[in-house]
Amino acid sequence: MRNKLLAVILIFSMVGFLGISPTWAAKPVKLGFTYIMSGPFATYGQFAKKGALMAVDEINKAGGILGHPVEAYFEDSTGKPDVALRAIRKLVYQQKVDCLIGLDSSGVAKSVVPSIPQMKTPLIITHAATPDVTGSVCNRYTFRVSLNLAQNVKTAARLAAQTKAKTWTTIGPDYAFGHQSWEYFQKYLKEIKPDTAFISKDQVAFPPFKTSDFSAYITKVMQSKPDGVLVSLWGGNLINFIRQGSEMGFFNGDFEVLITLGAATEVLSALEDKMPEGLWVGSRYWFLANQSALNKTFVKNYYNRYYEYPSYNAHGSYGAIYSYKKAAEKAGKIDKEAIIKALEGLKVDLPVGTIYIRPEDHQAVTDACWGKTAADPDYPIRILKPMKIFKGVDITPAVNQTGCTMK
Amino acid sequence: MESLVTNLLNGLSWGMLLFLISVGLTTIFGVLGILNFAHGSFFMLGAYLCMQVMHVVPSFWIGILIGPLAVALLGIVIEKLLLRKVYGRDITFQLLLTFAILLVLDDAVRIIWGPGYHVVDAPKILAGTIPLFAHSYPVYRIFLVIIGPLIGIALWSFFHFTRWGKIIRAAAVNREMAEGVGIRVPLLFTAVFAFGTWLAAFGGALAAPHQSVAPSMGESIIIESFIVVVIGGMGSFPGAFAGALLLGLLESFGTVFAGRAQMALPYILLALVLLIRPRGFFGREA
Repeated sequence: MRNKLLAVILIFSMVGFLGISPTWAAKPVKLGFTYIMSGPFATYGQFAKKGALMAVDEINKAGGILGHPVEAYFEDSTGKPDVALRAIRKLVYQQKVDCLIGLDSSGVAKSVVPSIPQMKTPLIITHAATPDVTGSVCNRYTFRVSLNLAQNVKTAARLAAQTKAKTWTTIGPDYAFGHQSWEYFQKYLKEIKPDTAFISKDQVAFPPFKTSDFSAYITKVMQSKPDGVLVSLWGGNLINFIRQGSEMGFFNGDFEVLITLGAATEVLSALEDKMPEGLWVGSRYWFLANQSALNKTFVKNYYNRYYEYPSYNAHGSYGAIYSYKKAAEKAGKIDKEAIIKALEGLKVDLPVGTIYIRPEDHQAVTDACWGKTAADPDYPIRILKPMKIFKGVDITPAVNQTGCTMK
Repeated sequence: MESLVTNLLNGLSWGMLLFLISVGLTTIFGVLGILNFAHGSFFMLGAYLCMQVMHVVPSFWIGILIGPLAVALLGIVIEKLLLRKVYGRDITFQLLLTFAILLVLDDAVRIIWGPGYHVVDAPKILAGTIPLFAHSYPVYRIFLVIIGPLIGIALWSFFHFTRWGKIIRAAAVNREMAEGVGIRVPLLFTAVFAFGTWLAAFGGALAAPHQSVAPSMGESIIIESFIVVVIGGMGSFPGAFAGALLLGLLESFGTVFAGRAQMALPYILLALVLLIRPRGFFGREA
């Protein structure tokens, strides 16, 4: 009796196994993802994984890439450069991935990118925003499909120029991202409006990453009596800052506020109606910015799958996979060198819109979206109304300004 | 004048949260001799469980009552099953064990509540702001400034005037002697650990309306609490109070007046204290 039962279970499990294992003949395309999967910023890795898994499922259901099924391998960068590099090496040498995708932190990206050419494997960056990876440390293996800091901040400078504010200050995280955001903002705003004043170095606020009480910084910025404040805090830092700032009257309208990553859905979902209305916020991808059928389907499928609106990092990994697919189809093969050539100058339709990967520096020319936070009965979170779309070609610095000399 | 008062209140309210978490840390060290790395995770759990209770009963007061108690129960389990094995052993065992507990708790939180950020509302009576000179100041922060010293006084009175407080202090000074006069020390240790855990969780629940509830929220605060405990004197109760106040004020005034050097101030203070008075302000002679 027991043997019979065992046999039945065995048969069933074998049938089940055959049933779920795809009957592919071709060898798989292996994609290796490196994101922050643990620690305080694990949110970002989780979002990226959600976007990636959805794209992989869609592509496999539709017949794969050139008939090859797609396999995804995920590694944790923990947000640290040495760990990220080890993860990438593991993906390349052990898993033998065909393409690397990922990287959340600018710090990680900047220190990992110079080692990529040794591995002779393309890397598509989806989140890390430092201009340097498609600038001073660019190389022919490294691409970026998302908006970088320079593009995002150039948009902020254009918005700032339209306000009456004459004196600007900043509050941003105390590492490369915060400092570079401020540096580029000053540069671009000076170009448009040369008479703009900026608050001196010792009066701007750069709270350390681990800060959870921002009151001292809020007080400091308010006391410097600016006309406008550029906020480049993000994630949990931004949530705490906005809550504590609203209580302390930071958003009472005494000055203009531009939040470069305020339209991130994870921030808006956490804050819900505690996000003040009428603030200018930006993002790398905003789920309502594009009315294309492609975007609508993406948002709908994502919502049905995860019960939330796609964040910019989910869109980043999703977009990277489709960019890879498009490149493979253009090249007609999945050979690494052929993919690199195909990615250069590639135009891909993504939910965010059509992106164009410049062959000279491998930076995607992609649209940016900003908007003013507004309540809407149809959404549990603040949405952007009015919304402003900036064309990628207008906000992407010229190649000769990026400092990239392709090797 | 306005900036002075605002900075003072900023520093005091943050200092009081630091005090709540440090006082549990220092008590556990003083009595059990354990350097508890997982203390920040109990702080985090306090915030999450308060939030979870509020999903069922939408009242902050019930959340802050039940949430930390649940964490204290977990503290009892951890003490009985794990910590007991490392009393009196080399400090590396304690560090490894409590660090492992930290990792497990952090992952558990991520699995149960997901990696996202959550926001907990302050109770109605403490929400909103009061006018402060030309600007406004959040009522909740003023509540923190008031409740911190009240809890401090209650704890101090407990340790100095009650029988149980005296027993705990006696056991901390000399375990063998305490056992010799008939005190059930293992039970006492469990109670003290649970109490320290409760204090951390209570701090976490109090912090919930003030900062976003997110995984690893304990990791950033644990470093500052260690600084507080070392400055004040390991195991010293008034030391935790003074250290937390000092650090809170140093951070608020330092941010405004010291510019970017502010980041280094807590560590400079720590180094100075270790050089001039290695046992901390209120530490006992080794």
